[in-house]
Amino acid sequence: MTANELDHQVAQRTSELAAANEELKKEIAERKSAEARLRHEEMELRRSEARKAAILDSALDCIVTIDHEGNITEFNPAAERTFGYRRAEVMGKNLADVIIPPSLREQHLKGFARYLATNEAHVLGLRIETTGMHADGTLFPVELAVTRIPLDEPPSFTGFLRDITERRWAEEELRRSETFLAETRRLSSTGGFSKRIATGEIRWSAEIYEMFELDPAEPLTLERILTRVHPEDIHSFNEMLDRQERGVDYEHDYRLLMPDQSVKYLHVVAHASCDQNGELEYYAAVQDVTQRRLAEAALAKVRSELAHLTRVTSLGAMTASIAHEVNQPLAGIITNASTCLRMLAADPPNVAGARETARRTIRDGNRASDVITRLRALFGRKEATVETVDLNEAAREVITLSLSELHRHRVVLRQEFADDLPPVMGDRIQLQQVILNLLLNASDAMSTIDDRPRRLMIRTERDEDDHVRLMVQDVGIGFDPQSVNRIFEAFYTTKNGGMGIGLSVSRSIIESHRGRLWAAPNDGPGATFAFSLPRQSGGVIRASSHDGGWTSAVTDTPQISRQP
Amino acid sequence: MVTHSLVSVVDDDESVRESLPDLLKEFGFAVQAFSSAEEFLASDCIEQTRCLILDIAMPGMSGPDLQLELTQRGQDIPVVFITAHGDDTVRPRLLRQGAVECLFKPFSDTALLAALNAALHAD
Repeated sequence: MTANELDHQVAQRTSELAAANEELKKEIAERKSAEARLRHEEMELRRSEARKAAILDSALDCIVTIDHEGNITEFNPAAERTFGYRRAEVMGKNLADVIIPPSLREQHLKGFARYLATNEAHVLGLRIETTGMHADGTLFPVELAVTRIPLDEPPSFTGFLRDITERRWAEEELRRSETFLAETRRLSSTGGFSKRIATGEIRWSAEIYEMFELDPAEPLTLERILTRVHPEDIHSFNEMLDRQERGVDYEHDYRLLMPDQSVKYLHVVAHASCDQNGELEYYAAVQDVTQRRLAEAALAKVRSELAHLTRVTSLGAMTASIAHEVNQPLAGIITNASTCLRMLAADPPNVAGARETARRTIRDGNRASDVITRLRALFGRKEATVETVDLNEAAREVITLSLSELHRHRVVLRQEFADDLPPVMGDRIQLQQVILNLLLNASDAMSTIDDRPRRLMIRTERDEDDHVRLMVQDVGIGFDPQSVNRIFEAFYTTKNGGMGIGLSVSRSIIESHRGRLWAAPNDGPGATFAFSLPRQSGGVIRASSHDGGWTSAVTDTPQISRQP
Repeated sequence: MVTHSLVSVVDDDESVRESLPDLLKEFGFAVQAFSSAEEFLASDCIEQTRCLILDIAMPGMSGPDLQLELTQRGQDIPVVFITAHGDDTVRPRLLRQGAVECLFKPFSDTALLAALNAALHAD
């Protein structure tokens, strides 16, 4: 081998070594980079796992994953809380054996098998509501969404579950509450409306549209509403609108006149409140009280007829008394006329005496006429009227008519009338009917009493709460305290020949005047009957006239709590 | 006719006390009127009264009560009852108890005069 050959070999070898060295360096560099990449990926994976774990741990929904055999591979803390299992208890167990109720297991297993065989899914990607089972065996409604985990082969699945017991309960409550409200509105013929005063925007419930017989499809305007308001009640309707501007709570009674000329009676209770922006808004309940009004009117008519019947019954009882009242002046008339004729027939005629007796004849004639007028007022058939009534005066008139009847029964009457008695509002004749009834009852109660004076006291006085009271006290046979309620029942009577309607009618008359009629045994012998009526300033009184005493009116009501 | 015999009228009704005395005077009687039995008993007219015209129903002492009281005092005055309560059962009872007559208001002047004549004749 020459030196040249040797040199050449060395050079070649060196070059080969260098190349190999380069290869090695490259390989090392590549390996290092691969290692770095791997480390990076591992770190990424760990980060991802950590993120996933964090999501699993803090998710509010239950997250349960299963593999293709249905075995549980993940069971997050929310699932632990909801189903009552520890994660470690259920990992690797079949889902069907753990949280699916026995009744649904077969369905679940079939669906799962079908999907694996055909990829035909019924639940994937859908939000469904089904039933879950707690570790203690209780069942509860759950909302479920199932997704297939992408990439995994064989397939695995993630289920997101949520206990919707409370939501179901709330939904049910809401539904019940809505049904309740709707039923209540329907049963009570009540509708609701709201009105924003600033914009005039009005919203009605379906019931009000039905009451007004207006089409809900057309815009609701005040003009449209006014087409239904009864012409006679437009004034009170406008008064109500004024109140709305002022933001006060109110109650309003008014009528509708329907296109077929029928009349509906409405009762409105309205409450003002402010919305979040401080705008005035009304919420109101509207009730169709037509049926009630008609019933009240019918009741008033029956009451009026009964009252008349009672009056006629009393009339019978008082025939003798009335005859006395009329016969007294008639006796005067005939005596005076006889005297007059005799004075004129004398020689010379006593003209001055005759003139005086003629004058007395006329006076007694007028007296008889007054008696008849009073009788007709008290016993005639008459529509109820509301007027200012002085109870003292009303009682005195009744006493005038019944005094001789009382005397005939040897009743000693004492009258104690308060001087400063405020007037009441009501039907004078009806109230006098009650007073007469109480007086005759008291007299009857003493008709068998012979061992003591038959004292009867009638007294008027101011009562508490701006009321006026009239009481009639006798010393008669009294009544059994146990039957105190029965004596006010219709057709209950302790009297021979009594019809037993006097007290029940009397009580209904007093109650229609917003008053109270009661009875109490005395400490001594006898009983006291009394009634109490609100004095005149105590508001509008509904007397029992034939339309039930209805008036259209708006009244302020005490302000109830207002929204801030 | 007996003139100037005293007839006393007891009646709580004022128009009777006013009208009846004038008629009785036309008949020729002397008359005193009283508004109650008690007032008559308290008066000094009992002795002179030849006939008593007496209302039945009055507050306080009634007509029949007064009649009984007078009988008990030995004052046998003929009584003509007058009443505005036209009760048919009342008259026979009063007549049995000694009344001369019982007239229902309103009564005629002739009926009254006949009753007075009967009363004074009985006296």
